[in-house]
Amino acid sequence: MILIDVWEGGDSPQRAREYCERWGIRGTVLLDEEGAYAKRVGVRGVPTNVLVDEAGTVRAFGAGNPDELDAHVDQLLRDASPEGPGR
Amino acid sequence: MAAEVPTGLEPEGVAVDGRRRRAFVACARSDAVTVVDLVAGTALAEVRVGREPMDIVFDEATDRVFTADLLGETVSAVDASTLSLIASVPVGLYPSGLALDADRRRLYCGCALSATVVTIELETFDVVASIAAGPGAGAIAVDGKRSHVFCANFLGGSVTVIDPEAQRVVTEIEVGAAPCALVVNQARDELYVANSFADTVTAVHLGTFELLGTTAVDRTPVGAALAATGDRLYVSNRGAGTVSVLGVGDRVEWARFPAGDGPGGCTVDASTGRLLVANAGSGSLTVVEDLLAGRPAAAPEQRAHALLGRKLPPFELPDAQTGILRSSREWAERKYIVNFFASW
Repeated sequence: MILIDVWEGGDSPQRAREYCERWGIRGTVLLDEEGAYAKRVGVRGVPTNVLVDEAGTVRAFGAGNPDELDAHVDQLLRDASPEGPGR
Repeated sequence: MAAEVPTGLEPEGVAVDGRRRRAFVACARSDAVTVVDLVAGTALAEVRVGREPMDIVFDEATDRVFTADLLGETVSAVDASTLSLIASVPVGLYPSGLALDADRRRLYCGCALSATVVTIELETFDVVASIAAGPGAGAIAVDGKRSHVFCANFLGGSVTVIDPEAQRVVTEIEVGAAPCALVVNQARDELYVANSFADTVTAVHLGTFELLGTTAVDRTPVGAALAATGDRLYVSNRGAGTVSVLGVGDRVEWARFPAGDGPGGCTVDASTGRLLVANAGSGSLTVVEDLLAGRPAAAPEQRAHALLGRKLPPFELPDAQTGILRSSREWAERKYIVNFFASW
């Protein structure tokens, strides 16, 4: 999982680190402080999960609630991309 | 949309002074309240309050604005005429929800980390009670008819019902996951609960506490407000950047429209019927004119996101720990999830 922290309005590195420490979140955390990348992807709210297959194709978008996310993750892990691994 | 007004950082809650035609927006990351002129559609002042104001109410009788200051562990009182801070009242840990009982002259504050509801006398600012609620006690609503206080327990998936006169818990109602907003509809004797992790709104009978029905909305509903017409409920969906319009009689989602990024607390301006939505992501207040006469013939369209089935645009973003730019190429030929989040 790649976490992208958006719309922090300043002090993003510190806020992101504190948040992850508070909730025990490990892994890659990137910063999109002004939300430019989020805007490009069409993210309008948080949390938003985007599931991507090995070809780089978006397979699910949104999936905010835990049950929905679980279902999409199961699907992603089961399916192979019709294109095969991407370039 | 009638207007979008820039505010301070992370606007979370909004209240209206109808007489002066002003909105007060609690801006958590600014530790301040932005005062918006609703006629001009511009911000006209900023008032410093406690740390991270999350919720806000306006008491017409004393002409004061109150904020629940999450990290300050206070309720701040602001004089609405002079726009100056006049008091900071220590409450419990992580105060996050507020509601007024204007008739009984009380203010109730849900304190999430203490799991308590604190009662404050409006005239004197005295804290007169602290009653145990559930884990993540936050949003509050008042049934003025029965003098019951409802508290949404975000971490408990429940609503605690309190008799504030007897200072005791009446009952606890199980609702959906992570209840985040409460609205009382006195005319229909109903309470509406926005369940943010279930993407639903639950209706509860105010007298019997019976669950009356659950309606699906958009992703992560965190705010709600009853329309001036009384026939519909607005629900702000933080995860999707939209507002749902629910019929209160038929419990059906009538419509869905875009708000700003990461919409949160909302309220209705009783003078105009307009909906005001605080957008934590955009740093703005959206003012919406509802032109819907009633339930439309067609249900809101559920369109698949434009990116589905397409390549994710590449990214190059700094790592929060190292500051080094990381590129999407690092994850090429792998399956992964990108989770967009905000620490608020």
